[in-house]
Amino acid sequence: MDVGGSSHGASLPVIHYEGFTEEESQELRRAGVVVSTLEQIKGWARSNSLWPMTFGLACCAIEMMGAGASHYDLDRFGIIFRASPRQSDVMIVAGTVTKKMAPLLRRLYDQMPDPKWVIAMGSCATAGGPYVRSYSVVKGVDQIVPVDVYIPGCPPSPPALIYGLNKLQEKIRTEAAGKRVSS
Amino acid sequence: MFGVFKGLGVTIRQLPKKKVTLMYPEVKPVWPERYRGIHEFIPELCIVCNQCARICPTDCISLSGTRDENKKLRIDTYDINFEICILCDLCTEVCPTESIRMTDQFELASYTRDSLYKDMKWLYQNHIEHGSYQALQAAKTEEEANAAREAQAANAEAASGAGQKASPEEANAARMPADETVSSSGKGGQPE
Repeated sequence: MDVGGSSHGASLPVIHYEGFTEEESQELRRAGVVVSTLEQIKGWARSNSLWPMTFGLACCAIEMMGAGASHYDLDRFGIIFRASPRQSDVMIVAGTVTKKMAPLLRRLYDQMPDPKWVIAMGSCATAGGPYVRSYSVVKGVDQIVPVDVYIPGCPPSPPALIYGLNKLQEKIRTEAAGKRVSS
Repeated sequence: MFGVFKGLGVTIRQLPKKKVTLMYPEVKPVWPERYRGIHEFIPELCIVCNQCARICPTDCISLSGTRDENKKLRIDTYDINFEICILCDLCTEVCPTESIRMTDQFELASYTRDSLYKDMKWLYQNHIEHGSYQALQAAKTEEEANAAREAQAANAEAASGAGQKASPEEANAARMPADETVSSSGKGGQPE
């Protein structure tokens, strides 16, 4: 069991203030003055409360559950699984997407409220993986929905998934600051 | 009614126990010896036998090589497409020279699919940063030191009288400059 507050304090992201030098922002941070655009605050809030949808398609879902359980504990990043697309803002596509499943995946994505992000977890969701020559498997979930982060692996271990989720948080913060992410 | 307290009792009994959570981004996980992470590639060892590309179940490895002046095959390009690589370890198992291996590295998530296509340079960099580079270097220096010590012992033996026994291979293996004068004298003693 993890008491929520204890692990959070150290991992709070540092907001980089636009139009100030490093010394000035350090001074502002020390004084506790909030100088930032509203977008950056929104990005900070959104990146620290990513609510992914409980959506497992294959063996990657087992690793996703493992990442959510107490040994890796996604709750300490504010990542709480929700059982409905209406309440969630991240879709972790964990597993093989068959052509039969593709329209349903698109519908679930459409049902999610904006802003929303997609993580392609595992080789299957990224490019088809071992089923790359199959007749019934979608070769990459980016053919159906726009993907933000690709996590390779078959399946990726829970730390690899956490690394991908941290990259998504980084992306949200960077884009909120008006910059574009590069791989 | 009392079910709530029963459940809370379970919760409270967990409180003094040891925390099991691995604080991942700060604390790195310790993997078992045969963990299958991202590959590392050592171009000097590769003999372009193509076995890794053949056994790959998803055909994610592509490589090419040319013959050099000694008619030995040298690797030119070596690419792994991590979009479809399933990290099954088969390529490292068939490799006769262990030029492709697995590392403990797992942090490969990216924002684009294109950046998951890794070339020889990247894989060699992975070898240096996360792979067995340091272990190999340590083993190499230790081997050299051992060879030098053996050569020194052999030379000492040769100098003490039994000059016929000192083999030229052992003397050549020694690379320390201090030994060279001794070994050359040992070699000079051989034809007599």
